[in-house]
Amino acid sequence: MIDMGSDRINSRELVLDVLLAVTRDGEYSHIVIRNTLDKYRYLSKQERSFMKRLCEGTLEHMIWIDYVLNQFSSVPVNKMKPVIRCILRSSVYELKYMNAVPVSATCNEAVKLAQKRGFRNLKGFVNGVLRNISRNLDAVVLPDRESKPLEYLSVVYSMPIWILELWQNSYTMEQIEGFLEGFLAEMPTAIRVNPLKTTKEELEKELKAVQVQVRETELEDVLFIDNYDSLERIPAFAAGKFHVQDLSSMQVGLWANPPKGSYVLDVCAAPGGKSLQMAELMQGTGRVEARDLTEHKVLLIQENLRRCQLSNICAIQADARKLDESILEKADFVIADLPCSGLGVIGKKSDIKYKINKKSCEELAALQREILHTVGQYVKPGGILIYSTCTINPGENEENVAWFLKEHPEFYLEKQQQLLPQKGICDGFFLAKMGKR
Amino acid sequence: MALRNIRQMGDEILKKKCREVKEVTPKIKQLIDDMLDTMYDGNGVGLAAPQVGILKRLAVVDIGDGPIVLINPRVIASRGEQTGDEGCLSLPGKAGTVTRPYYVKIEAWDEDMERFEMEGEELLARAFCHEIDHLDGHMYVEKIEGPLHDAVYEEEE
Repeated sequence: MIDMGSDRINSRELVLDVLLAVTRDGEYSHIVIRNTLDKYRYLSKQERSFMKRLCEGTLEHMIWIDYVLNQFSSVPVNKMKPVIRCILRSSVYELKYMNAVPVSATCNEAVKLAQKRGFRNLKGFVNGVLRNISRNLDAVVLPDRESKPLEYLSVVYSMPIWILELWQNSYTMEQIEGFLEGFLAEMPTAIRVNPLKTTKEELEKELKAVQVQVRETELEDVLFIDNYDSLERIPAFAAGKFHVQDLSSMQVGLWANPPKGSYVLDVCAAPGGKSLQMAELMQGTGRVEARDLTEHKVLLIQENLRRCQLSNICAIQADARKLDESILEKADFVIADLPCSGLGVIGKKSDIKYKINKKSCEELAALQREILHTVGQYVKPGGILIYSTCTINPGENEENVAWFLKEHPEFYLEKQQQLLPQKGICDGFFLAKMGKR
Repeated sequence: MALRNIRQMGDEILKKKCREVKEVTPKIKQLIDDMLDTMYDGNGVGLAAPQVGILKRLAVVDIGDGPIVLINPRVIASRGEQTGDEGCLSLPGKAGTVTRPYYVKIEAWDEDMERFEMEGEELLARAFCHEIDHLDGHMYVEKIEGPLHDAVYEEEE
């Protein structure tokens, strides 16, 4: 017989390709993972969730994993061939966090995969390192917590040291450890009921009928869901009966709470969660303009609009940095949820922590100022500007607000808040509500 | 190393039922060695004696974990199913979709005529079934779902 290879789509090999795409080719993990799951949608739910967990877990814990590998491998991680490095990383994750997988299975699959990818000569190396780690996993020596607290947190929670240093200026070690725990905890998906299509009770019933786990939250019309395969397979999602939006980002709508008939301008709107929330809060009256920079992002918004069939909202392609004179002082509410370093959503997009650096944080802060300066001019006197980011970085948040208020004395600060990530509940998020005199 | 000539589909010998092996003579030992060489040479993961023109119940398998010699093999338990492409050294360049058990347990005798049992899942289960079929005169093409198609081999990096 000849092995055609195609009968066993090897889930570990798919994971390897995801890890290579993210760590070697610099692609975004959530996009690569989603595309892979989309492509192999015929795989069983078990295999799909195994793959997803292995990809996300490996990326989340990568600093710790590399630290362990460096203790047991004669070749340092950064000197390994990318294929071997990625195979070893996901295998160490399996050894540590997937107790249902036998150690022998992890090692054998890793060896087979190395061979399949043309590294027959490294089979012994892969096997040796993994067997050694599996026997000594409990004996890993961590950096000393007392004398090197940052190194310790960095390894245990796989967080680059420079981010910890950034937070150290504003938060205590206990608070920082709290965020770090929050990022690593399982996060349920928060969904907002579309009140124009259904009620919370009906939606709950409908979701439970298709075996989705549903939990109440402290917010009205918001539920946590769990144990579903993909959103597109939930009929109620396709019918626009709910939207996915993190609890923290929902605060934007709650802070704005636009009265019926308002003109709301969302300047960086994709994928459109906040715009939809506003449109629903106004119960189909008034007008919401959801703008974003690229055609792709506008298409994303439109896709979400189509599901919900609201008539008071439209998507427009526009560069938020360029002044649109036709809407000067026209908007009752301007929502500026701007591009940011994303340090608050590391729990969902774990590769952010490896991709972003100090310099890009500074560039983003400058971009945010430029956009705020422009879009502030769209607010009509008596109107409201809400600035938000999904990051925890004073340079992009509080300092930018202070800068804006100083440059634009016609604005006053109503309130601002840095929401911190909470274990299993929400992301880190910042928002500031400013009124125009 | 001695390579044997692989019989191609259409050869009447591939349709015949094989006879049990009574003892492992030096000739049989030589045959086993040659079959392994022939299998590795063709990048196969399994080869049955009738494929090299010998009507004996004997096959070799290696899915990458080392050679397995099967004398008088028989499936004694099977479970589940898997559907996927299968190819055969007696029909090069072609493949077809075949559903096989996901798991099988076989009994067989080794080169010292010691009886053993072995379990296999996925590819190994598929290989066991495929080779044992050869010993009864069957080719996988009798079992394919849909058309026989040209094989596409995965390339190694």
